[in-house]
Amino acid sequence: MTELVLQALYSGVLTGSSYALIALGLALVFGTMKIINLAHGELVLLGAYIAYTCESALGVNPLLAIPAAIVVVCIATALTYALVARIGRDRELNSLLLTYGVGVMLTNGALLLWKADIRSTRSAWLQEAFVMGPLYSMRSELLFFVVSVAIIAGLWWWLARTWAGRAVRAVASNREAAKLMGIDPHRVELASFVVAGLLAAFAGVAIYSFGVIQPSLGTSLTIKAFVITVLAGMGSVPGVLVGALLLGITESLTTTFLSSALQELAGMVLFLVVLFALPNGLFGTAWRRRVR
Amino acid sequence: MTDAGARVDAHAVGRRAIVPALVVALYLVVPLAFAGNLHLMSLVVASLTIGGIALAWALLGNLGGLVSFGHAAFFGVGSYASALLVMKAGWPIAAAIVAGGASAALAAVLVLPALRLRGPYFALAVLAYAHIFRIVATEWKSLTNGAGGIGSIPRFPVVLGYDFSGKTGAYWIVLSLVLAFAIVYRRVRYSDYGLALSAMHDSEEATRAVGVNSVLLKAAMLFLSAFMTGVMGAFNAHYIGFLEPDYAFSGLWTMLPIVAAIFGGYRTIAGPLFGAVVVYLVDQLVFKAVMPIGHQIVLGALLGAMILWSPEGLLPALANRLPRAGARPSRDA
Repeated sequence: MTELVLQALYSGVLTGSSYALIALGLALVFGTMKIINLAHGELVLLGAYIAYTCESALGVNPLLAIPAAIVVVCIATALTYALVARIGRDRELNSLLLTYGVGVMLTNGALLLWKADIRSTRSAWLQEAFVMGPLYSMRSELLFFVVSVAIIAGLWWWLARTWAGRAVRAVASNREAAKLMGIDPHRVELASFVVAGLLAAFAGVAIYSFGVIQPSLGTSLTIKAFVITVLAGMGSVPGVLVGALLLGITESLTTTFLSSALQELAGMVLFLVVLFALPNGLFGTAWRRRVR
Repeated sequence: MTDAGARVDAHAVGRRAIVPALVVALYLVVPLAFAGNLHLMSLVVASLTIGGIALAWALLGNLGGLVSFGHAAFFGVGSYASALLVMKAGWPIAAAIVAGGASAALAAVLVLPALRLRGPYFALAVLAYAHIFRIVATEWKSLTNGAGGIGSIPRFPVVLGYDFSGKTGAYWIVLSLVLAFAIVYRRVRYSDYGLALSAMHDSEEATRAVGVNSVLLKAAMLFLSAFMTGVMGAFNAHYIGFLEPDYAFSGLWTMLPIVAAIFGGYRTIAGPLFGAVVVYLVDQLVFKAVMPIGHQIVLGALLGAMILWSPEGLLPALANRLPRAGARPSRDA
């Protein structure tokens, strides 16, 4: 029993690290532009399909597809930004509709290019078991956990220590004041989109390496990222990390003790409970904008 | 106020001759012209079904100020509720369809906490709800038969000697439903509630200050919109005769109405209906013929293009081009 719980916690943390990459991208863009990119999950999926294409067409390991995934996904996010930046008025709602449209295009583009079939990696090396004491995982899961932790650390360093990262935080906390300090908000917004694309590319390759992908997965990834940000209370990086781990653990505990079919529902129930009981999220109140 | 009222009246007089003629044409000419072509007729029925959802979606957006990405949830709940009431409880279809709408409105109660969230949060929360409902419908096997779906749902009956189970009968039913929705929408908009809602759109704070309960009004619009969408789902269940979770809760029931409403003009009443018919028929007859799968990529692009270049939608944009005496502001168009 204890071993089962420990194993579920371990698997949940490993999956949660990839969820964190996705949710951080969503939160970053929300921070600078106050918009939610509804195509975010589809952009993650794009990264996954690049890995699939490299593996199936060129025969390379999905890990080696990471640079290609980064280039393609970052171009796609930059294009998304170029479209969003053109919105004239009522940006909050129109950007939702616009990015929803981008998501529809990406999902159907994936259907056209890669068909509706379920795909997963053929690399035996990635899928090999990695046993650590009583805990088991696929090699790819542990690998991408380490990669995710490194990326999150890098993101933290970027936001805290570099000029560009500080500019992102400055625009997020007060756009007008940041402008007065000589920051070009448009460049900062573009930077936040591209960094979100970078995180999405890694997350996409990770998901392809240890899971299965299909065109309809994009929406559910967007929802997961949104659920995490609701759990976190929008805005705090530590909150997003805890929210992501919480979602990952909830899903893996459900898979272990109930059934894998209920896995997604468990995350949603968690979301509902937080929405009803703690409308400000588990952390922080500053970012949630409420009617009253 | 009197000025606005007078303008509305003048406009109504102008329409008084056109509207009945149009209604007669819709009821009689369309079936006579297309009745021989079953495929085309079924596309028309589907486009009106989507038009009804688009109208409900636009009502929530225009009057309630809420953008929903989860109307598939209400559609699915309405379709399952109606089908199960008829099949398991022996309800007559007409009552079950109304109950389907009521069930969808009841399901909207679950969405109420999301009303505390503004703008993007509400939109996404409803998207998450649609996901939840689909999973529940898949997993609650004792009630819904899960992913296997339910078949041979009773069709529309024979009334006054006419068999409504065919395409033309379904066309008359869905047309009547959609027109009824349009009338209800119009009445709400020009009622005191509509005025309060419109004021809320300009400044929610100020409207609350004069004693309007904005959350209650928004909730009322959400219930009305969910009810209409549920009725459309219930209609569709008895028209198609088959349900499965991935169909009844398909994201298409959210996506197509959004594209239709934005294309036609979501602040108008005719816009979503016009948009649904045009967008759906062109998608099915042209794009689907060229690209059997993935053809909705064009609809995604259309949505993006409309938001960027003509967020008001096509009908208001056309109306602005035609110089007209006493042209009304686009929100009223």
